[in-house]
Amino acid sequence: MDNEYIIGSDVKLKDVLREADAMQLLQNAAKAGASYGAVEDAEGEILCHFGPSPDGHVFNIKKPFYLEGEIAGYVVIKGDGANGPVLKAVGEAAYDALNIVLKSNHRSLLATETHRTVINRSYEELLQTCNMLKESEIKYRDLAENLERQVSRRNEELKQAHAKLLHQEKIVSIGQLAAGIAHEINNPLGYILSNINTLKQYSAKMKEMLAFFRDTLSKTEVSDADREAANRKWLQYKLDHVLSDVDDLIRESIGGAERVKKIVSDLRGFSHIDETHKADADINAEIDRTLSVLAHEIPGDAGVVRDYRPLPPFTCDPAGICQAFFNIILNSLQTGKEGLKLVIETRCVDDHIIILFSDNGPGIPEKIINRIFDPFFTTKEVGKGTGMGLNVTHEIVTSYGGTVNVESRAGEGATFIITLPVNTKQKPQIKKEE
Amino acid sequence: MIEYDELENKMVLKLVYYGPALSGKTTNLLRLYDLLDSEGKGDLTVLDTKDDRTIFFDLLPFFLVAPSGLKIKLKVFTVPGQVKHDATRKAVLQRADGVVFIADSQLSEETNNFESFRNLEENLRFVGLDIEKVPLVVQFNKRDLNNIVAEADIKKTWGPTGVPVFMASAVEGGGIVETFEKLAGLTYSSIDKRYHLSEKHGLDENTFVRTLTGRTRLHGQ
Repeated sequence: MDNEYIIGSDVKLKDVLREADAMQLLQNAAKAGASYGAVEDAEGEILCHFGPSPDGHVFNIKKPFYLEGEIAGYVVIKGDGANGPVLKAVGEAAYDALNIVLKSNHRSLLATETHRTVINRSYEELLQTCNMLKESEIKYRDLAENLERQVSRRNEELKQAHAKLLHQEKIVSIGQLAAGIAHEINNPLGYILSNINTLKQYSAKMKEMLAFFRDTLSKTEVSDADREAANRKWLQYKLDHVLSDVDDLIRESIGGAERVKKIVSDLRGFSHIDETHKADADINAEIDRTLSVLAHEIPGDAGVVRDYRPLPPFTCDPAGICQAFFNIILNSLQTGKEGLKLVIETRCVDDHIIILFSDNGPGIPEKIINRIFDPFFTTKEVGKGTGMGLNVTHEIVTSYGGTVNVESRAGEGATFIITLPVNTKQKPQIKKEE
Repeated sequence: MIEYDELENKMVLKLVYYGPALSGKTTNLLRLYDLLDSEGKGDLTVLDTKDDRTIFFDLLPFFLVAPSGLKIKLKVFTVPGQVKHDATRKAVLQRADGVVFIADSQLSEETNNFESFRNLEENLRFVGLDIEKVPLVVQFNKRDLNNIVAEADIKKTWGPTGVPVFMASAVEGGGIVETFEKLAGLTYSSIDKRYHLSEKHGLDENTFVRTLTGRTRLHGQ
């Protein structure tokens, strides 16, 4: 910065007057007959000249010229007296021309230096500004890109959360409906069972009475015609058959009613309409509940094998955990495989509950196996599946710090493995950002 | 100070005419050139103008020699007033020894005056000069026009600052020399403090100013 040009810096004669320019002006004097001509600077140093020794000439002019009000130098013309007037005129002309050249050069020097200074400085400032702009542009571009990414991720999350909510609401409303129906069924079922039981007692009494009548009739003196009539009546009403069948009928009815009662009770249990808080659940019982709710989905030729081991209580929201099982079992049942066999095994290994659902269904093709837990991924027809089932299972299991994995090969069935850490007295883990 | 060459026994001083566009800085210099008749007055250089507007600057140099032999060159510059030439203004303002702020008296120009003065403050800071210390004179030009700020208002505004204010009409010539004289005097004082012009070089303020203007001062110190 110290070396930079300061506007107003004093200029030297050499800066504004080139020797060649000065010489050219002097040439005119030489042509006009001057024997000597020179341009000197203020200190008398000769800038340029022509002719021999400057001494002893008759005609002699030395005129100062100015730069910025200060004497910058002299024009010297010498010659013999003969053409004095001509030389004088030529000298004047050279002087005037010199002044014009000087002024014009001075002006252009000032302009050039100023221009250079300003341009250089402006250029540096522009460069700085440009760099600053570049930096901020990078910053903003990053921000913008991040923003887009973040927005689309949040969007995705919202979409998933919304879908999950819908799915859960659906399950909940189905559960509520089921619980409502169960409640309505329970009342009539109660007196049906009670009445049938009473009917059973009545029927036993009537059977005994009938036997008593028949026995008494055989021992009593009655007319053959009457006896004949009684026997005919007995046969006509097929009372032997009725008496032997009535117990079965009643037993079966009681059995049926009991079954209805159990289904209703399972339905209530599955929907866990009465429990909204966490509870210590028996995973085996929860799987059973889930299976009974899905009983209607189990094809006639299908077999479900339960290979349970005793499990420690698992603290969870039972409705949620049932949902997790429900989605896996339903998938298995809906594969449409003839002679489906579903094996459900439970184990407890080192503080972990392990649940395996193995079927002999069509399995999962390799190219989609990595996507089956993704939200909205479904192989079912449009409108049939939400693509949320296994995702919900995944979400529920991971919310308890557990894992859910699948092992399958196309055509060789599939095994879903759920692992749940037993020691879950602590709060379920919040789902972390991937 | 642009430069002080002890070897050559020469100092080069710089005065700057600052102010908003079209406030009459160049006209001030032209007038000054016409009105002053001093020996050391150099040629007025008006650098490339476009549509009569200053792009770089105008330069009016003065040359004088103190009794001691100290050569003093005083260069009076104008800056381009248009906002876009700020880089040039900064360059011209560099190492200024004194500043005249030419304000436009017209009522419509108050904002421009204000902006330009703020720009002067900024640029003085930028080139490392202290506005409190730099000799400063304010001139309200164009007093010959109508619709101008009343002198009383100007005095009221500037009085408390202690900055000398002159009313002028560059077109008619009034107040031009006075402004220059005042600034020359202030500049002399500020240089004298550092370089002892009076003591060492036998040059007092009156002589300094008179030599520059070629006339007896119109106003006292």
